Amino acid sequence: MLPRSLVLLQLLLLLSSASAWKKDEFRNCDQTPFCKRARSRPPHSLPSFSVADVSLSDGSLSALLLPPSSHPLHQVVDSASHSDSPDSPRPLLLRLSALHGGILRLEIDELETASGSRRRFRVPDVLLPDVDDRLRLRLPRLGSPAPGLSTFPISPGFEAALRHDPFELVVRRSPSGDPVLSFNSLGLFDFETLRPKRHGDGDGDGDGDGDGEWAERFRSHTDSRPRGPQSVSFDVSFHGADFVYGVPEHALSSSLALRPTRGPGVDSSEPYRLFNLDVFEYLADSPFGLYGSVPFMLAHGAGASSSGFFWLNAAEMQIDVLAPSSAGRVDTLWMCEAGVVDAFFFVGPGPKDVLAQYASVTGAPAMPQQFALAYHQCRWNYRDEEDVAAVDAGFDEHDIPYDVLWLDIEHTDGRRYFTWDRALFPHPEQMQQRLAAKGRHMVTIVDPHIKRDDSYYIHKEATENGYYVKDASGNDFEGWCWPGSSSYPDILNPEIREWWADKFSLQSYKGSTPSLYIWNDMNEPSVFNGPEVTMPRDAIHYGNVEHREVHNAYGYYFHMATSDGLLKRGDGKDRPFVLSRAFFAGSQRYGAVWTGDNTADWDHLRASVPMLLNLGLTGLTFSGADVGGFFGNPEPELLVRWYQLGAFYPFFRGHAHLDTKRREPWLFGEKNTALIREAVHLRYSLLPYFYTLFREASVSGVPVMRPLWLEFPDDKETFNNGEAFMVGPSLLVQGIYQEREKSVSVYLPGEQSWYSLRDGVAYGGSASHKLDVREDSIPSFQRAGTIIPRKDRFRRSSTQMVNDPYTLVIALNSSLAAEGELYVDDGKSYDFEQGAFIHRRFVFADKKLTSVNLAPANSGAKKFSSDCVVERIIVLGLPAGAKKAVIEPGNREAEIEIGPLNLRAGSSPVAPTIRKPNVRIADDWTLRIL
Amino acid sequence: MRKPHLRLSLLVSCVSLLWIAAFATPPPRESLGIAPQDENYFRSSVIKCKDGSKQFTRDQLNDEFCDCPDGTDEPGTSACPGGKFYCRNVGHAPLTIFSSRVNDGICDCCDGTDEYDGKANCQNTCWEAGKAAREKLKKKIATFKDGVAIRNQEVEKAKQAFAKDEAELAKLKNEEKILNGLVEKLKEQKERIEKAEEEERLKKEKEEKRLKEEAEKQAIEDKKATQDSQEGNVDATLEKSSEVQLQEGNDHRTEVEDGNNQENTKSDEGDEVDDQGNIESYIGDDEPIDGLSSTPTLEEHVVESEDDNMIKAASRDDSAAKAASKTSEEQDHAPLDTEGLSKEELGRLIASRWTGENVAPKTDEVRENAKEEGDEYRLDTEIPEPAEESYDGYNSETDEEANRYEEDDFEDERDEEYNEDHIDPADSYYSDEAGKSDHSDLTDSGGSSWLEKIQQKVQSVLQAFNFFKTPVDLSEASHVRKEYDDSSSKLSKLRSRISSLTEKLKHDFGKEKEFYSFYDQCFESKQNKYVYKVCPFKKASQNEGHSSTQLGRWDKFEESYRIMHFSNGDRCWNGPDRSLKVRLRCGLKNELTEVDEPSRCEYVAILSTPLLCYEERLKELQQKLDDMMRQPSTHDEL
Repeated sequence: MLPRSLVLLQLLLLLSSASAWKKDEFRNCDQTPFCKRARSRPPHSLPSFSVADVSLSDGSLSALLLPPSSHPLHQVVDSASHSDSPDSPRPLLLRLSALHGGILRLEIDELETASGSRRRFRVPDVLLPDVDDRLRLRLPRLGSPAPGLSTFPISPGFEAALRHDPFELVVRRSPSGDPVLSFNSLGLFDFETLRPKRHGDGDGDGDGDGDGEWAERFRSHTDSRPRGPQSVSFDVSFHGADFVYGVPEHALSSSLALRPTRGPGVDSSEPYRLFNLDVFEYLADSPFGLYGSVPFMLAHGAGASSSGFFWLNAAEMQIDVLAPSSAGRVDTLWMCEAGVVDAFFFVGPGPKDVLAQYASVTGAPAMPQQFALAYHQCRWNYRDEEDVAAVDAGFDEHDIPYDVLWLDIEHTDGRRYFTWDRALFPHPEQMQQRLAAKGRHMVTIVDPHIKRDDSYYIHKEATENGYYVKDASGNDFEGWCWPGSSSYPDILNPEIREWWADKFSLQSYKGSTPSLYIWNDMNEPSVFNGPEVTMPRDAIHYGNVEHREVHNAYGYYFHMATSDGLLKRGDGKDRPFVLSRAFFAGSQRYGAVWTGDNTADWDHLRASVPMLLNLGLTGLTFSGADVGGFFGNPEPELLVRWYQLGAFYPFFRGHAHLDTKRREPWLFGEKNTALIREAVHLRYSLLPYFYTLFREASVSGVPVMRPLWLEFPDDKETFNNGEAFMVGPSLLVQGIYQEREKSVSVYLPGEQSWYSLRDGVAYGGSASHKLDVREDSIPSFQRAGTIIPRKDRFRRSSTQMVNDPYTLVIALNSSLAAEGELYVDDGKSYDFEQGAFIHRRFVFADKKLTSVNLAPANSGAKKFSSDCVVERIIVLGLPAGAKKAVIEPGNREAEIEIGPLNLRAGSSPVAPTIRKPNVRIADDWTLRIL
Repeated sequence: MRKPHLRLSLLVSCVSLLWIAAFATPPPRESLGIAPQDENYFRSSVIKCKDGSKQFTRDQLNDEFCDCPDGTDEPGTSACPGGKFYCRNVGHAPLTIFSSRVNDGICDCCDGTDEYDGKANCQNTCWEAGKAAREKLKKKIATFKDGVAIRNQEVEKAKQAFAKDEAELAKLKNEEKILNGLVEKLKEQKERIEKAEEEERLKKEKEEKRLKEEAEKQAIEDKKATQDSQEGNVDATLEKSSEVQLQEGNDHRTEVEDGNNQENTKSDEGDEVDDQGNIESYIGDDEPIDGLSSTPTLEEHVVESEDDNMIKAASRDDSAAKAASKTSEEQDHAPLDTEGLSKEELGRLIASRWTGENVAPKTDEVRENAKEEGDEYRLDTEIPEPAEESYDGYNSETDEEANRYEEDDFEDERDEEYNEDHIDPADSYYSDEAGKSDHSDLTDSGGSSWLEKIQQKVQSVLQAFNFFKTPVDLSEASHVRKEYDDSSSKLSKLRSRISSLTEKLKHDFGKEKEFYSFYDQCFESKQNKYVYKVCPFKKASQNEGHSSTQLGRWDKFEESYRIMHFSNGDRCWNGPDRSLKVRLRCGLKNELTEVDEPSRCEYVAILSTPLLCYEERLKELQQKLDDMMRQPSTHDEL
C-alpha cells in the first residue's frame, strides 16, 4: 500500500512527463559540438581568410583561399608538404562561376592533396545533370576595378565582386554597386580541414556537451567520428531584405517568415535545424528539424526585390537568422557538420525570378497525374478488403467524390513491404480493379526499413548482394523499426536504386496493378533505436561515405528510386505518383510530400499554411498536411474547417492515426457531411485551374500555393502574412483557425477588387475587411482581372470528369478586362512533352472574350484533342443589360441571363451568365457581348 | 399457392422481355430521369423549380444546362450537381441515383438508362439481377414470416414474465414489510432479554463485588498493568508491518492478497485495515487518479520498490508514453532515460509511441510473474503485446479492488451475489439465476406459507417468553436470539432479492417489453481466437482463454431498439474507453455474428433475433416484392 503522498508524487511525475514531444531526445545546438563551436563566435572575431592566385580557368574564376595564420607563399609553393605537418592550416580551393539566368555558384573545397587523404563528400544527383554545361557562362575575362578586388558580370544588371583580403564575396547591382547578397561580410567563414587524429585529441567527454571532435556521446549513443572535425560555417547577408523564408521543414504556426533566432530583442532560440527526423507529436511552432530539409533561403524586402541562397549540402545544418541591426538587411549564419561549400546565389530581382533560378538548378516540380490533384482518403489503417469496399461505397452513397484510397503499413504481411496480409487482403488485384472500374486508384506504403527475415525475398537479395547500409564496423546496419529488426538499403548507390526500382514491376510486386501507386514513409530514415530516432552518423554508405554526410538526402534518394520504379513499371509512359515524408532539395522532381504526423488541433491547422508556403517556395509545391490532423480526434468543427482549408492545399489528403476514431466524412451528422461534401466539391470544380497551375509550376518553378507577397511583391502588408495565401495568381484564401470564430479580418492586397467565391460580392483591394465567418465556407476570393476555368459537374472521381464541359468565371477589373489560362493534357502520360496538350489563354477586353492558343505551333509530334466545350461563362463585374453574345466563327448567338456563381442549392443569381456558348476549348474563338 | 406464383412470374418475365425490346432506344429527352409520379409535374410549358427559386420552359428541361440550383430542370442529365436521376429498371426495382452518375461511363442502373451518350455500353441486366433480388427478398420475407410468429410468442412470454416479476416484487415488498415488523419485534424482545440479563449480571456482580472487594483490589491493578504493556506491543507491530508492506509492495498480487488476509482478520487488526482501506478508497474515489492514472502509479510503485534503475527508466518512459494521450499540454518533463536499454528494447519503446504497444521487457516480466501467481489476474487480450495489457490488467485490478472495498462498506445492504457480480466478471453472467436459486427458500416454497410459519413461530416464541420470570430462562432467551438471527438473515435475503428485481425491472425492455428475456441471457460468438460475449442490460466482453476484456457496460438502446449500446469498457491505451454497438436484425434465432472493430476500440456486432421481425416491416417487404412483380405489367399498360 502506498502512502498518499507517494501516490501524489508519482502522479505529478506522470503529469509532467505527459508531453509528447521529447525535447531531450533531440540534440540542441549546445549538444552539437560543431554548432556550439560555430555559434559561439561573434562577428569579426575570427582572423580572416584571404584570396590569392585569382585566375580564369575554363570560364570560371579559380583562386586559393588562404587560412588566416598561413603565409601565402608557403602555401602556394608547396601545399603537399603541408599535409605532412597537419597542424598548420592548409589553403582551400575556391571556384566561382556565373550561370545563366542570374545565378552565381561558389564552390570551396580542400585542395587535392597527396594520396591517402580523403575527399570531402559532394552530394551527387541533386543538381540537374546538365547544370554545368547548360547553365555555365564561360567568362571571357575578369574585371579588376580596384586592387584586391576581382569582378565579373553574372547577368544584365548584376555582377560578382570578390574582395581578396579579407575574403568577402558580394553579389551586387551594376553599375550602382548596391549589394544584393554577400558572403563572409561578418567574417564568420570557417572550414575545418580533414586531418589525421593527433595524439591528445579527445574522444569527447561523454555527456554530449563537450567538444567531441573525435567522438561524441549523446544519451546512450556514441558517434565514433573516425574522421574528426570537418564542419563548415559562414555568414550570408541578404541586402534590401526585410524577411527571409524557406529552409524547410519547420513547424511555424505563428509566422510565415523565419523569425530571428539571435540578436538584440530576440528571445534565446535554437537555430533553424535542418536534420531529417521522425518527430513524435511535433510542436506546432519550433525551429527544430522535422522530416525534410531544403537548404534554400529566399529574402524579400520593401524594394519589391528578392534574392535567394542555396547551399547544396546534405549533412546536418543549423541556420541562425540574426535580428536586423540595420533596416533592409538580414544576416544569416550557416553551419554544417561536414561536406563542402557548393552554394548558389540567386539575384532575382523579382520573387518569381528567384524561384525560376532555383528551379533551373534543382529542377522544376514534376507534372503530376491529374488524379493525384483530387481528394485522397487515407487512414492507418483500412484493415481489409471489406473495409476498403465499405469506405469506397460510403463515398458513393454520400455523393462525395474521391480519387485515391490508401493502405498503411498493416496491409502487409508483417510489415514486409511489397507483400500483402493475405488473411485481410486475399484478392488485392480484384480490389484494385474494383476501384479502378470507378476511375479510382490505390496507394500502398513502401518504407525503407527492410525486415531482417531470411525468408523475405527483399531481405535475402539485399543481404546476398551487400545492398544494406553498413554500420561503423562494416557489418550490415541493423536498426529497429515497424517490422522489428530491420536493415536499410544503401540507396545512395545507383546500382541499388536500380535494384529497388525493379521491385515495383508488376511481375515483382505481387498483387499490384497499374492503378496502384506508392507512399514512402519513414525515410528520414526513422530508426526507432537510433540516436534521435534515426541512423547513426558513423554508418557507412556507398563510396565510403559516412551517414552524417548524406543524412538529409537519404529520403530523397529513396523517393527517387521509388519514383523511377513506377516510371519503369509504366514503360516510361505513366507519370509516377509517390508521396514521401522525407525530402531534400530536388525532391520536387519525384513526387509529393506532406508535413508528416501533425495533430488534430487548431494550432496545427494554422501551422499548415506557413509550412506549405515555405515548402512551395523551396520547390516542393506538391505538398499538403494531413486533413483532420494525424494524432487525436478532431472536433467536427475543426474537421470541417480543415477540409475547407485542405481543399486548397496542392496535395489534399485526409489521414488519421491508428488509435483515432473513424473519420470518414459522413460520420459527423448530416450537416457536417454536407459541409465536407461542399468543400470537396469546390476542390473538384477547381481541378482544371489546379492542373493549369501545376503545369505552370513544372515550367517556371512558381508554386501552386503562394504567399501573398509572391503576387504582390511591393505590398509590405503581405510580407509576413501566414494566414492567407494565393492559389495561383487568381485566388486568395484565408483559413479559419479558431473554434467558433465569429468574424475574421482578411487583408486583400493590390489595387483591384476581389470577388467572394461564395456569392460574388466584391471587396476593395489594399484593405482589411472584417468579415462574418460562415459555417459553409472559409473566406476565399477571385481577384478582379482574372479568369478561372472550372468544371461544375460532380462525379465519383476526377477520372469521370474528363469529358465534362467547362465553366469560365471571369472577374473583371476596373477597366472591365481579365485574363486567365487553361492547360489540358491526357492527365497521365508524357505525351505532353511532345506537344500533346491544349494550352489556351482567355483574354477579356472591350466586351470581347477571346481564346488564344498558347501552345507553340510546332510543339511536337503528338497531338491532344478534346471535345470538351464551355457550357457556361460567368462574368463578374459586367454592367447589367447584356442580353446576348455572338460567337465567332459561326456567328452563333448565346443568351445571357443573371445566374448564380455556384450551382449549390439555395444560391441566388448574382452575375451575367452566358448560357451554353458551347465553344470547344481546343479551338480559337471569340465571343462578343452585345 | 406455389403453382400460380410460378405461372405469374413466367408471364411477368415474358411481358417484360417484350417491354425491354420495345424500349431499347433511349427514351425521349423530356422524360429522361423522371419518376412516373413526377411526370405530371413536367407536363406544362413553363415549369417551376421545386425550390421555388425560378421557373424554366419545357425547352430547358434536360437541355444539359442547369437552371434550377436544386436540379429540377435536369433530372436526366448531369448538369445540376443536386439532381436526381430515376431509372425504371423494369424487371428489378426502380432506382433513383445522383445525377453525377449520368453519362459518367459507369453503368449504375441495371437497365443502363443512365448511360445514353454512347460512351459506355451498358447491358440491361435487370431481369437477372431482379430475379436474384426477388429470390433474396422472398427468402427474407420467409424469414420474417416465421420470425414474426416467434416474435409474437416471445413478446407474450416476455409480457408474462415481466408481469410475474412485477407481481413477485410487489409480494416481496409486502413480505418484507411484515418480516421487517417481526424482526423489529424480535429485536426489541432480544434487547429486552439482553437488558434483563445485563441487569441480572450486574446484580450478581454487585454481590460478588461486595464479597470480594478487598481481595480483588490487588488483582485488578495487576491486570491493568498487563493490558498496558500489551497495547504497546500492538503499536510496534503496526508500524513494522506497514514498513514491510512498503518494501514488499513490488508485487501487486501481494497487495491484493494482503488485503484479503486483512479482510479475514479484520477484527484482529482493525486499525491497520482501516488505514489501508482509506488509501484504497482514495485511489478508487478520487476521479483524477481513477482509471488511467492510478494504474501507472501502481506500476511505478512496482518498479520503485524493485530498486532497479533500468526498470525504473523503462517504466517511467513507458508511462510517459502512455500519458502522451494528450491529457497535458506541458512541455517539460522528466528526461527519457534510455541508458541501459538494449537496442531492441529502445526500438520497441520508441515504436510504442505510435502504436501504444508496450515493450519494456522488465515490466513484462513483472506481469508474467503476476500472471502466474494470480488466477484472477486479468489480461487484456486485445493486443498481444504486453505493456498495455499489464496496464489494462492493473487498471481493472485496481478498479475491482476499489470496488471490493467499496462493496465492503455496503456489505449489509447488498447481497453477496450482486457483489460477486462486480468482482469477477467472468463468473457473473448467470448471476441472476444463481440469485434466484439462492432465494429458493423465499420464493419456491410457494405462497406466503413460509412467512406464515415464521409469523406463527415468532408469535409463539414471543408469547412463551416470560419477562417476569427471574432469572431469565436461558433456553427461552436463546430461542428468541435464534429466531431473530434467522429472521433477519431471511430479511436480508429478501431485501437483496427485492433490490435485484428492482434493478432488473427499472430497465427499458422495449415498447412491448419484448427484450425482457434478454436480461437473463448472454450471446456468444467465436471469432478466431476470441470469444465475444454480449449480455444485454449488463455487459459485453472479449475473452481469450481465461482472460477477459470488458468491451462495455450496458448503456441503452438506440435507434428505437435497433441498437444495443455498451459503453465505458476497459480503457484503450491512447484511445477511448472500449465500447460496443450491437445492431439487431431479424433472424429466426438469437445469434451473435460479425463482431468487428472498425475503429480502434470501438466494436460493432450484429445480433440476429426474432424480436426484430416486426410485422410492419414484413408488410413493407411484401409490398416491395409485389411492386417488383407487378412493375412490368404497369408499363405494359402505358
